[in-house]
Amino acid sequence: MRPFCGVDKIGAGRASFRTLAAVLGLCVLAGGGCDLDLENPNAPTEGEVLTDIDGIISLAVGMQDQYAAAVEDFILPSSLGTDEWGTQTRSLLSYRSLLTGELFENSFLVVENPFAAAYEVVKSSNNLIENAPQVGLGTGLETGIVALAKLYKAMALGMAIQIFEEVPVDISVEFPVPEPRATVLDTVLSLLESARSDLAGVTDDDLSTFRSRVLGSGFDLRNTVDAMLARYYLVAGNYQDAIDAADRVDLSVLSTFNYVTPDRNPIYNLSFGLIYVAPLQSFVDQAEANDQRPDYWVDTGAQPFVGNPDSLLLPLREYSTADDPYPVYLPDEMKLIKAEAYTQLVQLGPAATLVNEVRTQSSSPVDEPVAGLNALPPEALDTEAELLAQIAYERRYELYMQGLRWEDTRRLGTGITVTPIFDFLPLPEQECMTNPDACG
Amino acid sequence: MRSPNSSLATTLLALSAALLLPGQVWAQQPQPYTIQGMVYDATAQRPMADVAVTIAGTSLGTLTNREGLYTIRASVAPGTYTLEFNFIGRRKETREIALAADRTVSVDPVYLTETAIELREIVVNLTGVAAERRAVGNSVESVPGAAVSEAAGASAIDVALQGKVTGAWISENSGQPGGGVSIRLRGTSSILGGAEPLYVVDGVIVDNNTEGLVDMSSNVVRGGAALTNALADLAPEDIERIEVLKGPAAAALYGSRANNGVIQIFTKRGRQGRPRISLRTEMLISQPPDKYDLNMSPYAGTADVIWGPADSVGQPIARYDIQDSIFRTDVGYGTYLSISGGTEETSYFISANLRNEGGIHQATEATRRSVRANISQRISDALELSANASFTDADQDMVPEGEQTQGTLTNIIFGGPTSWSPFFDPDAGRYPNSPILGPNALDIINNWDASREVTRFAGSVQAVLRPITNLTVRYLAGMDDYREENRYFEPPYSISPGYGGLVQNPVRLSRQFNHDLVAEYVATLSPGVGLSSTAGFRYTSDREEVIRAAAEDLPPGQDLVSGATQYASQAITEYRTVGGFLQERLSWRDLLFITAGLNVEASSAFGPDERWQWFPRFGASYLLHEEPFWQRAGISNTISTLRLRAAYGETGGQPPGVYTRFENYVDVAYAGKAGLIASTTAGNPNLKPERESEFEAGFDLGFFNDRAVAEFSAYFQKTKDLVLAVQLPPSRGVQSQLQNIGEVSNNGWEAALTTVNINRPSFTWRTRLSLAANNSEVKKLVTASDTLVSGYLNAVVEGQPVGVFYGWYYDRDDQGNIVIDTLTGLGRRARDADGNPLKKIIGDPNPDLIASLSSSFDIGRNLQVSFLLDGRFGNDVANFTRRITEYFGTDKVVEREIQRQIEQKTDPDLDPIKYTLNGDRIANYEEYVEDGSFVKLREIAVSYRFDQPFVRRLGAQSIDLRVAARNLMTWTDYSGLDPEVNMFSAQTVARGVDFATTPVPRTYVISLTYNF
Repeated sequence: MRPFCGVDKIGAGRASFRTLAAVLGLCVLAGGGCDLDLENPNAPTEGEVLTDIDGIISLAVGMQDQYAAAVEDFILPSSLGTDEWGTQTRSLLSYRSLLTGELFENSFLVVENPFAAAYEVVKSSNNLIENAPQVGLGTGLETGIVALAKLYKAMALGMAIQIFEEVPVDISVEFPVPEPRATVLDTVLSLLESARSDLAGVTDDDLSTFRSRVLGSGFDLRNTVDAMLARYYLVAGNYQDAIDAADRVDLSVLSTFNYVTPDRNPIYNLSFGLIYVAPLQSFVDQAEANDQRPDYWVDTGAQPFVGNPDSLLLPLREYSTADDPYPVYLPDEMKLIKAEAYTQLVQLGPAATLVNEVRTQSSSPVDEPVAGLNALPPEALDTEAELLAQIAYERRYELYMQGLRWEDTRRLGTGITVTPIFDFLPLPEQECMTNPDACG
Repeated sequence: MRSPNSSLATTLLALSAALLLPGQVWAQQPQPYTIQGMVYDATAQRPMADVAVTIAGTSLGTLTNREGLYTIRASVAPGTYTLEFNFIGRRKETREIALAADRTVSVDPVYLTETAIELREIVVNLTGVAAERRAVGNSVESVPGAAVSEAAGASAIDVALQGKVTGAWISENSGQPGGGVSIRLRGTSSILGGAEPLYVVDGVIVDNNTEGLVDMSSNVVRGGAALTNALADLAPEDIERIEVLKGPAAAALYGSRANNGVIQIFTKRGRQGRPRISLRTEMLISQPPDKYDLNMSPYAGTADVIWGPADSVGQPIARYDIQDSIFRTDVGYGTYLSISGGTEETSYFISANLRNEGGIHQATEATRRSVRANISQRISDALELSANASFTDADQDMVPEGEQTQGTLTNIIFGGPTSWSPFFDPDAGRYPNSPILGPNALDIINNWDASREVTRFAGSVQAVLRPITNLTVRYLAGMDDYREENRYFEPPYSISPGYGGLVQNPVRLSRQFNHDLVAEYVATLSPGVGLSSTAGFRYTSDREEVIRAAAEDLPPGQDLVSGATQYASQAITEYRTVGGFLQERLSWRDLLFITAGLNVEASSAFGPDERWQWFPRFGASYLLHEEPFWQRAGISNTISTLRLRAAYGETGGQPPGVYTRFENYVDVAYAGKAGLIASTTAGNPNLKPERESEFEAGFDLGFFNDRAVAEFSAYFQKTKDLVLAVQLPPSRGVQSQLQNIGEVSNNGWEAALTTVNINRPSFTWRTRLSLAANNSEVKKLVTASDTLVSGYLNAVVEGQPVGVFYGWYYDRDDQGNIVIDTLTGLGRRARDADGNPLKKIIGDPNPDLIASLSSSFDIGRNLQVSFLLDGRFGNDVANFTRRITEYFGTDKVVEREIQRQIEQKTDPDLDPIKYTLNGDRIANYEEYVEDGSFVKLREIAVSYRFDQPFVRRLGAQSIDLRVAARNLMTWTDYSGLDPEVNMFSAQTVARGVDFATTPVPRTYVISLTYNF
């Protein structure tokens, strides 16, 4: 027991208080225990988490949960703002406003949530990137965690720029400044490249502890880094890099977010839990005859029901139970990325081949939609415009509810059949009100 | 560690040095003396019992017996002493006595005269240090124990204080037995923090947690609300007196917990003399004050078609008013026994109490069993030890109410229309589920369980050391330890045919320690100039643990935590403070007193940079009537007392959570792995206490030998650094942070007029009128346009009192008349050009004026009659009960709607009247804001003391028979059952909302007290 407990903790430089505290050292009479630096027994603090091996590992697990839980916020603006979903009668005004553009306000949670969730992931990622190397993790664990953090930060920022036109990159300052889209994309790509080169330095054996303690099951880190590189190189217009990255992805492996009770698959939650959204019947009606993919996604045989605002909706087939996994990306996205990149590079032959590969696929080793269609004749795919239009169609039915449709409308332009309700969402009201540098 | 003795000695030396003792007078050799005398009532010329006779400057003393006789046996050094004679409501008398060779000293008879004020009454402003009221610059409200223990039908001390503390806004939030009580002293001065005062019992800070382990009124979305009251664990009969320190000017030395004022409770102690035994037995009858006026139309209305058995509006239909199966008149009982006495060296006070209060609501009752022992032993002339201990076991059976869909009254007002039959269905073997909410009120009463049991030990050990005549050192170690077990059980099927049942059994374990060491040194600097120096140290340590266990999908017959789905959680809160204080009180010629004090305190809730806080106080008291010129001018014949006083003090308030200074991480699980994520509420290491400062000034004015006394105080309170949630840019990965931003002011005045109107041997009539007004204003929020809504419609808005009603309001024409909507025949909400309904401030639940009037009549020797009127004026109440009954077609007014619907069948041109399912009206909060001003006849009592010879022959000194009633009458324009209740219990901001809340009962009490 210290005779004058607390003295060394008292506000520095306040001599009078120190003297007084010395008198108060009488607290020995209190039987000791007058340490005032009590810890919170209910929760670890940031200082504890970031300086401890188990803390870093737990944060790496938590970061994956942050992203996986936010998937529904990330995909809502895309699926409602294009032509994927309608709103059910129970849905909130804010959901309907994403669908119709009417009575929209940037204070709605549908605006606030994806933005906040992206930056909660970024905050966790930054903490991991900065602190994981400091706590004495083994090479495999450290490399895996840092690479995972870079991947998730890249995915979060990548998702953010599909929803908001300009978003901050550096969040260590009091008022983060929104950066132009190109700057954010550069950051996304350099994070992914950095993760890729980190991973190149370790073997899969090195990563075995990382996989068992950190990584969610059904998640292939190397593949996912390459898949995201392909996705964002395409967005950035670096077509050859996109092709190269997509080529590295093993298409027989699926990476998913997993939902164990009480977590729920985000789309199940939106459509069956909250009963807010459901597929538009037009998604089925506008498909080619014999295209098997609508029936993969939607219960096409069900009786359509009426939504609010007036529309015909169908129940989901995919993601109809709470613990269904949700894919981080679907393998055929890689083929369609390459097809689109080749088209942009005016290599129309390889592009047409890839489109037909997607169309004619009739089975898959993993859980993904297959079209089971006939190949299109060469003359139907011999101009850039034809190819882009066809790629837009294939992406619509391959990548339904993956949160990509909105960005497709920006790239594929005239090839796409829908005009989105919003170009981008405005930054959320809270960001505008609390950050003088945010909204101009 | 060194022995306790040596460290104590070191301590005393340090303190002596710190206090710069001007000189030391060591005691002479003590001798045994016997001091005897008589005390009489000056008016009635009768002997007075229970007068406290003490030797000033010592703790030696006794009480007079029934014959007015006192005998003090004391060992003191020879010399001249002053005997003091104290009795509440009488002018204090003193007598000089010389103790010399004669070991037995007889003192001439002393006559005590009635006064309306006692400036020499002892008040205790901080642990262990007493001062005479006249020396204190702030107002201190002192309530004698008798006023608490004789409060007719009051279930707890705080209820018993209603109407007895000038300016205290004391409300029973629910009429269920043991229902929560809230006390606001000089307004609400926090927003996110608590607003209830600090309670200190015999120097021990006790827990008064108002948070419910199971939400019983408002639900968790609106903050949850308990129907419990921690002070109900204390037996009112044990109370010697209560002191109320209303603001920082008085409470500064309680430091960072005292923003809401402090209520100091002192329990009884034994006095020298033979054992005194008091046995009280009482019967309580509780009666509902009123019941709802329900729709009893013989014809079906809209609700009866939608949820009831009717096929069409207007068809004949049966209706049920089951309130007679819900409300009841119930009988409770109480037994109280105390034994006290003592010798020169030892005193003791032992009591036991059993009290059962039946509820006016079926299936509710509260039972308290408690024992107490207060024992004191003189070890030597210089050292006295005492120990206080109390143990309580309290049970409470409740039913949910308010917006809990499981509430019984809730189900009466909207569980189903009055045409729906809730009676037991023998074919199904159970009560039918109600068509709107699901639960059935009769089922809840018969088969559900919402109960609570508290076992509580509170006690202290105290040592008082007087090593030299002028120095007193007190050390107190106190503890309040309790276990609260709640139980809440919803049987399977009780909410819907598929419902699997729910049981919640949370337990709260709480332990609070405090250690106080206080030294006081009294010195005479020069003739007529005295200095009293006090230094103290205080350490407090609180630990609370809440363990929750719950289960769903229960096997049949199982009502413990078992079954298919089980939940458990645990939370621990620890909190410590360390502090010290210094106080100097200078007295000049016994007519001017100046006090200055400083409290320095550190709390574990704050980060190192803001941990140490200091709270100053100043006070001055000037007794003008003691000035020689006042006496010479003869004014004193008319104005016998004129005291001017002023005080300033600062106190602090604790943050809403004790761990808010940390960047806390939160548990999550992902894909079967345990994870952590940062809380979106950022920690704030620079958080500091909410700081309240108060200036108070006033006067005490006594006329005609203090037969009439007016007391007046005005106060100006400002609370700054109020903790509020400040939004942060979400791009930083966080949402908000608690910061010291807000500011609230509370200004007001308090006045009391106490008079002895008639004072004759056979008839005495006393009255007391008290008035108080408080004006609260929110001065600063995070941004000026913020409107923080708490509960349904209580809001915090700059420039307005805390908790004003804010909501949608009526569309009115240029003349201010409500615009009638022809579709409903009723008013409609105001809207903007886009058709969006508009909100504004539509009421204020804070009273403009709190007033009470009490009177007592002593008729003859043995008969006393008294009453107490208690009123609030200018407070609004939101009648959310009526809001619901109208919408769901259960209100009396809906009979008109049905009548009109029938008339329209023959005369289609008649305008409709639409209450049922009127979606615009239910949102029109203005309609439901009513004037909640009321006057209640809080207490009325007739008591008669039998002390005739036949009583003596029964072995008793006297028997008191008392017939009394509580809340017998209420005068109010409020249309609901009771304007006093609040569905949000003791919440800080959400006040004045009545929503299926049990009204406060009328209680009749018959008691017999035997004095042996």
